[in-house]
Formats: sequence, C-alpha cells, structure tokens
Amino acid sequence: MAALGLFGIAAMALLAGKSPLARWILTETLAPQRVLPLIGLGAACALAGTQAFAAALLLFGVGILGGFVAQDWLLWMLYGLPQAPTHLFMTGPISYLAVGLALVPGARLRPWLLPVAALVAGAMLALVTKLTDPSLHEPVYTWMPVLVAFWIVAAVALTLRAFRRGWFPIFGRILGSWLLAIGLLYGGASLLPRREPPAPPAMPLPGAPQSVPGADRTNPGLPAPAQPGPFPGGTDRFRQP
Amino acid sequence: MLPVLFPLIMVVGGIAGMAGVPLPGIEIGIALSILALGLAIAFAWRPAEWVALALIAFFALCHGHAHGVELPRAADPADYAIGFVLATGMIHLFGIGVGLGLNKPVGGRFARMLGALICVGGVYFLVLALLAV
Repeated sequence: MAALGLFGIAAMALLAGKSPLARWILTETLAPQRVLPLIGLGAACALAGTQAFAAALLLFGVGILGGFVAQDWLLWMLYGLPQAPTHLFMTGPISYLAVGLALVPGARLRPWLLPVAALVAGAMLALVTKLTDPSLHEPVYTWMPVLVAFWIVAAVALTLRAFRRGWFPIFGRILGSWLLAIGLLYGGASLLPRREPPAPPAMPLPGAPQSVPGADRTNPGLPAPAQPGPFPGGTDRFRQP
Repeated sequence: MLPVLFPLIMVVGGIAGMAGVPLPGIEIGIALSILALGLAIAFAWRPAEWVALALIAFFALCHGHAHGVELPRAADPADYAIGFVLATGMIHLFGIGVGLGLNKPVGGRFARMLGALICVGGVYFLVLALLAV
C-alpha cells in the first residue's frame, strides 16, 4: 500500500509539468507542513489498540465530512483568533497541537485522545483543502487531497504496526513533543504581531544639490558638455539634413 | 522525559525571543550548555533526574530564545517552525545514535574523549561570549 502510493507520487511528479492538479497536490497537499500531522496521526494510530485505530480512522473521515459541511461555521469560529485569515485560519497549528496531544501522554490516555485528535485533524484538513483549492469548484480538487491524507495515515499506521518494536512508544512520545512544539511555535509566530524592521539611515537623494561635497564644481580646462539633442543617447550625428 | 521536554521548553524561549522579551546572557548560557554537557560526557556524570531536568530546561530556554530572536522577519512561520524543531530533533537522534554506538567499543572511553573535545569547544565559545559582553 505504501509502495503503491509512492508510485502514485512519482507519477504525479512526472505529470507536474503538464497537469495543474498534479502540481497542486505536490506543492500543497504534500507540503511538509500538511504531511507532518498526518504522519503523527498515523503513528498514534499504530501505537493505539485496534479499536482505537478503527475509531480514529472513522472519526478522521467524520471530521473531514463535517469540515466540508460546516465550513462556514468553523471559519466563523476561527475568525476570532488574531491574524487567523492571513494564516489559513490557524488550521496548521490546531492540527499539530491535536495530534501532538494524542501522542505525548502515553498508552493510558492515548485511546481516549486519539479519536478526538483524528476528528479535529480531519476537520482542519477539510478547511485547508477548501481554503487552498485553486479551482473553487472542481470536485477532484476536493477528494484527491482527502484520498492522499487517508493514504498517508493508513500507510504510516499499518507499516508501523507491521514492524512494531519495543522503542516505538518512546519514539511516539518524542514525535508528539516535536509536533506540539511545531504547533506552539507555528501558532506563536503567526499570532505575534510582526516586528517592524528599523528605519534605514537617511541618505541624500542622488543628484540632490550638495549631495556630494564639491560635486557642483567643474574643471575649467574641460570643454563644456554638449547640449542634448532631440534623439536620446546623443545620436544627433545620425540626423538626416 | 528529557527528549520530550527539551523542544517544548525551547519553544517557550523561542516565543519569548520572537516577542522581543529580553533575556540577558543568552550567548553565555549557550556556551555554558556546551561546556556542561561536554563535562557530563567526559566524566560520565549521571545526575538525579530533577537536576538534569533543571539544567536542560535552562539550556533549552537559552537555545530557543536565540532562535526566536534570529527569526527572519519575512520568514514563513510554518517552514521556520518545522525546520527549527525538526533540525533540533534530528540532532538529538544523531547524538543518541552516536552515544549508543560509541558506548560499547573501548568501554565508552572514545565517547568520553569526544565529550572532552566538546568541553574544549565550550570553553572557546564561553571566552568568545564573555569577550563580547
């Protein structure tokens, strides 16, 4: 399944020059900031039991569907966050925080937090898909990112479950802390007002009077400069009589 | 706990740096982190967990603040945040790998020698930071 998806991505990379959809999927849907929470969700699914895994996948789908249906209401809710409209309504940081919170606490709390994180991540995925849809109406631009997201989550989860090792839970918590840190930093960097750079030092305009000391003086030994003619670049000598 | 806490505390320092909250002696703190961790490796020091947590928290604040201050104003916050945290995480993984790999051969003496070298680097950075004050 993972290999099939990778072949699909390779095919999209080959088609990127011809197909706007393939180019959009490579640059937007598979952008690192969109893929990382999905990888985290897949890792959390791999570390959870089968029931929690199934519930998380189901709620991920419900979240996506809910995000598409209740898009306006969700955007209205997120509009209150500072500078939200210029940062995709904070969909990125919210996904990172939700998935990170599902990974960090450990095996006891994960089955309870994972479905909630999957629901939130799904809703945020739906919102960001709609917000970055360049076609505004083509259905393929809606379902292709959903398909890719499901593939990422399932491929990571099933691969990790197939090759389970004793150190996976520790790595899961570390990955969760990374995702939390990215979410906090990403959100903090977006929420904080941008500092204005210091004003550049005052420079005199070129050609302004007295801009260079002594620039107004001329060498009396040199011939006077020719008066400019009607042709630019001094092409008067080519003028026909 | 340490690899989990370090990026989170570093983010606190990073946000403080981005917000323009001044923390004096950041460069000295970073140089001290190199010196202290080099010494810990060189002398195979295994402190109590709370001591390690306190030290790591202080060093994480210093490193995070320096990153936050240096955040380019025009940078994309998403890419910056991901690069900042992932690069730190990858350095941790590399360090854990080197530590595990060098712990067995020669009874860990090679790893301790590398710790001493890191210590020398820490002294160099500390002198530079003190001269810049």
